[in-house]
Amino acid sequence: MALRDHPIAAQSEVPTASATVGPFFPAHFIGATDHDLTRRHPQGAQAQGNMIYVTGRVFEAARVPRWNTIIEMCQADAQGIYAHPADPRHAQADPHFMGWGRCATDQTGAFSFLTVMPSGYVDPLTQAKRAPHLELSVSGSGLMRRLRTTLFFADLVDNTHDPVWTVVPPARRDALLLRSVAPIAQVPCWSIDLVLQGESETPFFVD
Amino acid sequence: MRYLNEHFVPYDDNTQPTWRVSGYKETLTRTPNEALLTRPKTLSERVGPVRIEEKLMPACVDFEHTQTQAQGQRIYLRGRVLDSDGSPVRGAVLEIWQANASGRYRHAMDATNPNPLDPHFDGAFRLCTDARGEFALRTIKPGGYPVPQHPERWWRPPHIHFSVFGDGFASRLVTQMYFPGEPLNAQDRILHSVPDAQARARLIAQPMPMQAVPQTDHLGFCWDVVIRGAQQTPIEQTDTHATNHRTNSETNSETNGGTPQWR
Repeated sequence: MALRDHPIAAQSEVPTASATVGPFFPAHFIGATDHDLTRRHPQGAQAQGNMIYVTGRVFEAARVPRWNTIIEMCQADAQGIYAHPADPRHAQADPHFMGWGRCATDQTGAFSFLTVMPSGYVDPLTQAKRAPHLELSVSGSGLMRRLRTTLFFADLVDNTHDPVWTVVPPARRDALLLRSVAPIAQVPCWSIDLVLQGESETPFFVD
Repeated sequence: MRYLNEHFVPYDDNTQPTWRVSGYKETLTRTPNEALLTRPKTLSERVGPVRIEEKLMPACVDFEHTQTQAQGQRIYLRGRVLDSDGSPVRGAVLEIWQANASGRYRHAMDATNPNPLDPHFDGAFRLCTDARGEFALRTIKPGGYPVPQHPERWWRPPHIHFSVFGDGFASRLVTQMYFPGEPLNAQDRILHSVPDAQARARLIAQPMPMQAVPQTDHLGFCWDVVIRGAQQTPIEQTDTHATNHRTNSETNSETNGGTPQWR
C-alpha cells in the first residue's frame, strides 16, 4: 500500500487543489470487477459474510438522471474490521475482502456494487458505536470537488446512536437510508437514490 | 509508518476550487444547495483501501507502446507525490489521462469532437510512485480545446488529469496539471476557480532544464502533487519498515546528495 515516509521538506504545504474529473475519465480505467468489493482478484477467493448488492441512481437538479458519474465505495468487512493499519484489529481483517470499489453510472444514472453486509464496530478513539455503514464519494463532470457521504441500512439495526447519523438533521436522515428491494439472482439488494441537488437532496459531508 | 489520524483538517476553501464556476454550467446543476455537514472522525473517516495496486495494476497500461508513434510534441514529466507534512508517499497509485495533440480525448463523450483521434495515442496511464515517492511519464503535450456549446467561447488550456490514491480515502485527490507559459491559462475558468494565487501557481508544471531530460527529443517538465497529510508524529514500528527510519537531517542530506540537477 501507499506508505508515507518521514518528512523531508523544510515546511509543510497545503494539499494540491482538487479539480473536476471532467467527462473524459477513461472507461477502461474502471475494470470489469471494480464494482465487486468481495474479492481482491477476479479469480481470488471471496470474502466471508452475507453477500449483498448495493444499487442506486444518481440525479442532478430537477431530478434529471446523471450518467457518467463515478462512485467510489469503502466499507468495513463482515466483522466490522478494516484492513488499514489505523484499525487496531486490522490483523484480523478478512484477507480476501477488497473493501473498496468503484463504478460509473449508466445512461439512467444507475450504479451497482457487489459486497458483503458490513458490521458495525466500536470506534477505538472515541468509543462511539458505529452502526453498519458504507462510505461513498461521488465525482464527475460539474463537480469541482468530490462529494462524500455515509449510507446506513433501514430497519436493520438501530442507527440512532451512530455519531455520524446523529449530526444529520433528523428531517434529512431518510435520504441516507439504503432500503431493501427485490433480490438480484437471489442475492439481497439494498438501494438508494443519490440526489446531488434539489428536493430530497442527499446530505453530504465536509471533506 | 505514518497514516492519517483524527487530527487531519478539512480542505481550505481558499486553496480549493469553488463549487460553482461561472461559464461551467454543469457545476450549477450538480452542486448541492444544502451546506456540507461536519461529522466526527471515527475509524471509517480515517482509513481507506489497502494494497489497491493489486486491483489497479500499473502494468495494465503500457505507455511505452502507446507512445512511440504518437503525433505531437513529446514531453517527459517527472514529479513526486508528497503529503502536506512534507513526506514523500511511496507506492501511491496514479491514474493519468489527457487529450491528444489535437485536443481530443479517446472517450465516447468526446465523439463529436471534429479533431482526429490518434491511432497511436491512448492518453491514459497508470503509474505507481517509487521508493522516493517519484514518478516519471513520457507522453505528448495535449492540445487545448474549446468548451463546447458555451456562448462565452472559452477554451481549456493544455492540461493533464491526475487521480491519486494515497493511504486513506481521505487522501484521495483528483486534480489537473497545467503547462507553464500557456496564454490560455490566464482565462481558464477551472484553473481560476481556485481563489488563492499560490495554490493556482502550484497547479502549473515547471520547465525542466533540457540537459536534465533523459531523452533528447522530449521537452521536460516537473510537477509535485501534495495529498492530505498524516498530521501525526511517526509511529515507531518493529516490522521491516523500521529499517527505513531515519532522522530528518539524515534523510535531507541523502536526498540532497542524490537530487537530480533539475531540482
